[in-house]
Amino acid sequence: MSTRHSRAAEAYLKDDAVASRHDQTFFAVRQKRDRMAAALPEWEDLREAASQIKKHTATHLADYLERFERNATRNGVSVHWAEDADEYNRIVADILAAHNVRKVVKSKSMLTEECHLNENLERQGITVVETDLGERILQMMKLAPSHIVMPALHVHREDIGACFRRLIPDFDEIARSYDRPHDDPNDPTFLTYVARMHLRQQFAEADAGMTGANFGIAETGDIVVCTNEGNADMSTSLPRLHIVSMGIEKLIPDYASMGVFQRFVARSGTGQETTVYTSHFRGPRPGGEMHIVLVDNGRSDILGDPEHWQTLKCMRCGACMNTCPVYRRSAGYSYTYFIPGPIGINLGMLRDCHLYHDNLSACSLCCSCDNVCPVKVDLSSQIYRWRQQLDDLGHASRMKRLMSKGMAALFNRPKLYTATLRFAPLINVLPSALVSNRLNPWTYGHTMLKFPRKSFHEQWKQLKNEEKK
Amino acid sequence: MKIGLFVPCYVDALYPEVGVSTWRLLRSLGLDVDYPERQTCCGQPMGNAGFERLARPLARRFDQLFAPYDYVVAPSASCAAYVRCFHPDLLRGEACEAAGKTLDLVEFLHDVLHVTSLPVRFPHKVSVHNSCHGVRELGLSSPSERNVPRYNKIIDLLRLVKGIEVCEPERPDECCGFGGMFAVEEQAVSARMGLDKVRRHIATGAEYVTGPDSSCLMHMQGVAQKQGLDIKFIHVAEILTSGL
Amino acid sequence: MSSREEILSRLRHNTRETFDMPDLAALTPITFADPVAEFIHKTTTTAGATLIEMQPTDRLDDLIRRAYPEARSVASNLPGVRTDVNPDTVAEAQELMHVDVGVVQGCIGVAENACIWIPQQTKEKAVCFAVQQLVILLPRDAIVSNMHQAYALIQTSTDYFSRYPFGTFISGPSKTADIESALVYGAQAARAVTVILTPP
Repeated sequence: MSTRHSRAAEAYLKDDAVASRHDQTFFAVRQKRDRMAAALPEWEDLREAASQIKKHTATHLADYLERFERNATRNGVSVHWAEDADEYNRIVADILAAHNVRKVVKSKSMLTEECHLNENLERQGITVVETDLGERILQMMKLAPSHIVMPALHVHREDIGACFRRLIPDFDEIARSYDRPHDDPNDPTFLTYVARMHLRQQFAEADAGMTGANFGIAETGDIVVCTNEGNADMSTSLPRLHIVSMGIEKLIPDYASMGVFQRFVARSGTGQETTVYTSHFRGPRPGGEMHIVLVDNGRSDILGDPEHWQTLKCMRCGACMNTCPVYRRSAGYSYTYFIPGPIGINLGMLRDCHLYHDNLSACSLCCSCDNVCPVKVDLSSQIYRWRQQLDDLGHASRMKRLMSKGMAALFNRPKLYTATLRFAPLINVLPSALVSNRLNPWTYGHTMLKFPRKSFHEQWKQLKNEEKK
Repeated sequence: MKIGLFVPCYVDALYPEVGVSTWRLLRSLGLDVDYPERQTCCGQPMGNAGFERLARPLARRFDQLFAPYDYVVAPSASCAAYVRCFHPDLLRGEACEAAGKTLDLVEFLHDVLHVTSLPVRFPHKVSVHNSCHGVRELGLSSPSERNVPRYNKIIDLLRLVKGIEVCEPERPDECCGFGGMFAVEEQAVSARMGLDKVRRHIATGAEYVTGPDSSCLMHMQGVAQKQGLDIKFIHVAEILTSGL
Repeated sequence: MSSREEILSRLRHNTRETFDMPDLAALTPITFADPVAEFIHKTTTTAGATLIEMQPTDRLDDLIRRAYPEARSVASNLPGVRTDVNPDTVAEAQELMHVDVGVVQGCIGVAENACIWIPQQTKEKAVCFAVQQLVILLPRDAIVSNMHQAYALIQTSTDYFSRYPFGTFISGPSKTADIESALVYGAQAARAVTVILTPP
């Protein structure tokens, strides 16, 4: 009885130091988030408001998209619509080709990961440079993100230093220009400086900048991008061409709504009062062009799913991952979908329930995620409901079905149940080799259970009789 | 007031003393307590494993057995939560009378009986295990994630016990990793979560870990024994009847 | 049907139940008895910026020089600031990457998170990001308690977005914690920020 997640997690947990550090790193973020929540008396009201805004927008999405398109177009922006990843990749490639773009600088976007944009562009000979520091590290190391907001926290400084030395051509020159004393050759401040100098070169050379969108505002046509590094702003201040990739669920109605969400994104996700930059793009740079690609890629179908449509409320803050005790102990790569943690389990099932059902085991149903989610997505209930569908989908664990059926057979027959309890203590006297073996998964982490001589059922009559006397 | 005592299957089989303590406690408070003998399981293990259809007949049976009582009291927060939060959905379109009046022992004592004194003594330091479904489904304590006034009904009750010293571990309501079949399907993560939790309980310097859920205690006890860690486990009901 | 029509019609078809917009006016967001004091506190602590309270007798150029004495070049289009580079007239935005200090005008300060609303007022917005250090001027009387108030002001004003279609909230210097959670200032954009609170 195991899944691809549980096997990967078991392997991950073999290195105790790495696993402990991962858990502590992300629990620390959860604690920062708690302090943010505690500092705002209106926190729970904000969550409710955010949830209602998202529900309202999702159920009026077609109208809001039309309004957004009208306003963006009036602002001089070209708006494109993509049904799926293929069409999205094609649209982006065409825009880039029309401008003879050879190099793109890009800020973080989960949507581009979802659609495999980078691979597609690189196949066409276009250089794509991720500019979020974490994403850039992963790109250079040829690794996937392990978290949607802090994608490279699982990578150690020594490995990052080695990678920079190997792959940044003018590393030595940059290092010589660093003016602060540092003993550790992999000091994070030093490595960040190296990355800064390296990336500034990329910003200066790039022909186009691509960003995601944290929000689109229907009322004005604004695209709002939140970063701490300012890389989205660097990507759009230097090249003349700006392409925005936006999932259609990122739309919100107006500035009043934006006030609610701006206060949430960083507080929930990273435990900061705000991201350093909250930038509103309402049109192209003077002499430049701005394109927005609105991407569906399955989202409009999710809206029609009565049990799971509320995943459309998600704003990808990552809070559910940080609090998830399973994510913290198994890390991003244990999951088979590129978004890990509670929201990733659900989004993976919505993407392809036959491909990503292994992640459903990665939940103890502790419900912590439900309580941190700033837009109140009922993440654990959704995982519970997906599990109910596994048998019909043909992916239920045979062992779990057998155990469930066995239990049900026993519990549905009170007499048999009572009789079984009477004989249960016999297990205690069986040779331990018979009960503690690899066929008994309980004994992997536990000692074997000891059954008492008499169950409560048997003691009950005695209790009654005692009282009568 | 007629009380139906629900002693969930695994408590019945593995921790009868918890059932006995609950019975004694409720009787000592002068309550009319009945134990319907044909009870078995609330259906949660099958539901959480993805087999709600196997849980449905059990929910139906539960409702038939317990509908006549004014309150159904169980010394197991997770089972009480499954009945109260999940049975209405399982039995949609059918009679479902018992679910709404099913309570965990702690909330029954705290919220219904408003117990303010207990003639019991337990001169030990205990670390409280706030189990997930107790916290986040029944509201036995304020979830650490939420910005709500802080409270803890388990601690309120334990404070009535003479001689006791009550504390909570770091990360006071992080999951211990039991989760029913999660413990066997995700055995490595489950064992690791259990170990982390036990260590945090031990770090408080407590002699005992106590909580309203024998399932969590069972899991942590198995992990502690396997790792050779020295701390004892005791259900809240046993402390509240200590020396009674 | 075009993709646009397909998506819109599928959305309309799949909308099973509709929900109303909540009454956001019913929210009671946090306010501060002294928003200026809170803004100064947040700016100099969590945001990691330096803050100067300008006195009526101070000269702006002196304050900028005092903040960044080693600066060799200043970029701004603000009147009263002695500049070496004008972001309105540079041939390429890239030129601003080599400027030591950019000086821009902030319009709204937000006490709860030290954000400053900076609508684009120069041809090249790179002056806010690409320069090494950033000085933001902010009138003392332009500080509000929270983001709701800030957005309400932006929405009702005609001053923003009219000349250039961009505006940004900035809260301190560029930051990252992407390497082992170690907080580092100066990831990509301005390495340091000085806020000058100007007299009303």
